[in-house]
Amino acid sequence: MEVDALALSLAYQLGTNAAFLFLAAVGLIIILGMMNIINLAHGELMMIGAYIATITHHAGLPFPLAVVASFFGVAFFGAILELTIVRRFYGRELGALVVTWGISLILGQGTFLVFGPFMPAIKIPGGSSSYGSFSYSHYWLVLIAISIALIFVLYWIYRHTSYGLQARATMQNAKMANALGVPTARVYTLTFSLGAGLAGLSGALLAPTSTIAPFMGQQFVAPAFITVVVGGATNVISGAVGSSLILSAVKTPIGMALGAFSGTVALLVAALIIIRIMPNGISFTIQKYLDRRRNKKA
Amino acid sequence: MKNDKRTDQPGKEAEQEDISTEDIGPKITRRSFMKGAGAAATISAAPVYLSGISRSFAAKDGPVKIGHIEDLSGNLAVYGVQKDHAAQLAVKEINEGKTLKGGPVGSGGLGSLAEYATKPPIMGNGDKDLKFVDAGGKLDGSGMAFVEDNDVLVDSGDSGILGREVELIHPDGQSNNTIWQQLTRKLIQEDKVDCLVAGFTSAEREAIRPIVDQFKQLYIYTNQYEGGVADSNTFCTGAICEQQVIPVVDYMIQKFGPRVYTIAADYNFGQLTAAWTRAFAPQVGGEIIGEEFVPLSVSDFTTSIAKVQQAKPDWVFTLLVGSNQSNYYPQAAATGLEYPMASTVNMAQGYEHRRFKAPSLNRMYNCVNYIEEVPTMRNRAFVKRWYEMFPDDPYIGQMAQNTYFSVHMYAKAARIAGTTDQEEVKRAMESGLHIEAPEGTVFMEPSTHHCSHYIRLATADANHNVSFVREWPSIQPWWLQRIGVNLVRHKEYKQYIPDEDPFFKA
Repeated sequence: MEVDALALSLAYQLGTNAAFLFLAAVGLIIILGMMNIINLAHGELMMIGAYIATITHHAGLPFPLAVVASFFGVAFFGAILELTIVRRFYGRELGALVVTWGISLILGQGTFLVFGPFMPAIKIPGGSSSYGSFSYSHYWLVLIAISIALIFVLYWIYRHTSYGLQARATMQNAKMANALGVPTARVYTLTFSLGAGLAGLSGALLAPTSTIAPFMGQQFVAPAFITVVVGGATNVISGAVGSSLILSAVKTPIGMALGAFSGTVALLVAALIIIRIMPNGISFTIQKYLDRRRNKKA
Repeated sequence: MKNDKRTDQPGKEAEQEDISTEDIGPKITRRSFMKGAGAAATISAAPVYLSGISRSFAAKDGPVKIGHIEDLSGNLAVYGVQKDHAAQLAVKEINEGKTLKGGPVGSGGLGSLAEYATKPPIMGNGDKDLKFVDAGGKLDGSGMAFVEDNDVLVDSGDSGILGREVELIHPDGQSNNTIWQQLTRKLIQEDKVDCLVAGFTSAEREAIRPIVDQFKQLYIYTNQYEGGVADSNTFCTGAICEQQVIPVVDYMIQKFGPRVYTIAADYNFGQLTAAWTRAFAPQVGGEIIGEEFVPLSVSDFTTSIAKVQQAKPDWVFTLLVGSNQSNYYPQAAATGLEYPMASTVNMAQGYEHRRFKAPSLNRMYNCVNYIEEVPTMRNRAFVKRWYEMFPDDPYIGQMAQNTYFSVHMYAKAARIAGTTDQEEVKRAMESGLHIEAPEGTVFMEPSTHHCSHYIRLATADANHNVSFVREWPSIQPWWLQRIGVNLVRHKEYKQYIPDEDPFFKA
């Protein structure tokens, strides 16, 4: 009984850790992974999502609808950001880095000045159940399920919609895509807006588990960048899934045995090793392996 | 105890004998007190004429400058803004000719007459306003007499400090230690502040203390912290481990059981406070069954929660700092963790009981020297004054109150010294000074530059209502005395850590 309880608890922790990494990274997957914009305002986009969810929820909207409102609200904000500022920095990675950093400072401090140091919390929905000496929060189980659903939705968008096709073409070779009639400017706006909206969505989803404060976004930035960079740009979705699973598989048992500090160190060491031996990320290695197998068959 | 209320302004003795600044009080005139209190009278006799002289100099000297650095932006702004407002309120009151009651009581400090009384046992003037509490601290027809002050803010008989207006120079530390160092240099060298009040984290304090010592700047650190700073230029007015950890650990072990699990922030505050717990718990029959130190960047506590569940403690000691780490409470509540908790920082500092939905902080116990809910008349008067000046503030925390009375304490010390000369004011701060703060009576212990505090054990219930289960009217900061620090006799500029005391080696 005690052994299965521990095993079940480890599986649950693995799931929550992976879901946390994936949700922290999901907006950045699109913006950094696909568009190659080092978006240092990622955390602040998540913060805005959390604020929209908090404000609409306390105004009486049920929490799931508040999450949806955050997605559209931040997507709209992202579109404005792209149209006014970010589009001037395509192809200039360092310029984009500095400008998004500036945006993040303005958004964080501006929110602090307007809304003060904290927002009222959102109660974590759902209860908990226990098995053996461990117990499980229902909300985290829902977050794991939502993360899995998001993976499939993103995969579907990019593989089976015409926007997805145009987006992949634009990211691969914008000039050529444009010559073939793809409205690349619009694709860029839509893609940035989708990435921002996803950041807002995950900010709203993580809001109940977190302190809703102007600088809350900073806690997500480091895990998000680590997840995306370890995942690599070859196939951003499978890369992010792979890296969040691998990183949490390293972090969870070590954290459980030796404590949170060792868990965090283990995660960083694992990221370092993976980037060293797979400089193009996990997705590149997976892709190479798949290609080789396909070639062998052929 | 007879003299603890009538000493707010010894310097104006000669001129203002007949002006009563308070409506009640024992019929011990100031003059008779001055004759009786040997040591204190020696110190404060000189300023009787000195303050008269300095007042005539007022126009030439310009304002008295108080430098105040706190984080008004960045991660620590939630605490910094409160402290900044506290300094503004105190400076405004000083300039309006107000002060908190208090003055030198001589070395030895205040006697603590009761362990569990819920009200400070101050003797009244015999007839009016005299109330009685029984042995349990409940109001009763007879028993121990006490007088509750309606307010501790009284006329200072001075405008500003020694007739000079007080100017508050309060830049933003931006939650960045490098900026803290630059600002400290600027305040000391360019602005030439008469007193520096600054510092939230121990890291910030340790970043600027070498600069403070280089210029022998009078410096007041107002935060609750891990203790141990023995610095001739530094005065620490926040509560420390022996005042917070020991009472709460003792209570929790009696009430909930001996098995303790500690989760602490992984930097000097968390590590040293956990070391105190480790050293002290066995002495009251407790046992540390698990300890975890969490980096400040961690905000997902799933694994830590599972580790607590695996250890099955009787209660959990949470020493979590910053907004990332306060996520522990809602996450633990959603996972169904229902252990009683104790802390030295939460509630009183980041008002988690107001921010998080009930019952995340159900059965949280904390020994605080101040919390906005302190149920005394003087505190209600203070809270009212605060929200009149800052109606939009969310909460008044422990450190904000410390900053508030510290600025008033500086003004008192300068009046006693009769000058703003920093060495003279430091000597006056070492004169056995007490002040009636919103929390209760605070005494600046001369030899260690730390304060005795009125400590209350506050707890939140399932609806996050705060109540007080025990009170200690005066707990001394005894640890530095125990290891032999005496800053009056031997100048020192260091921070002692528990490892330097055999008490912690066991």
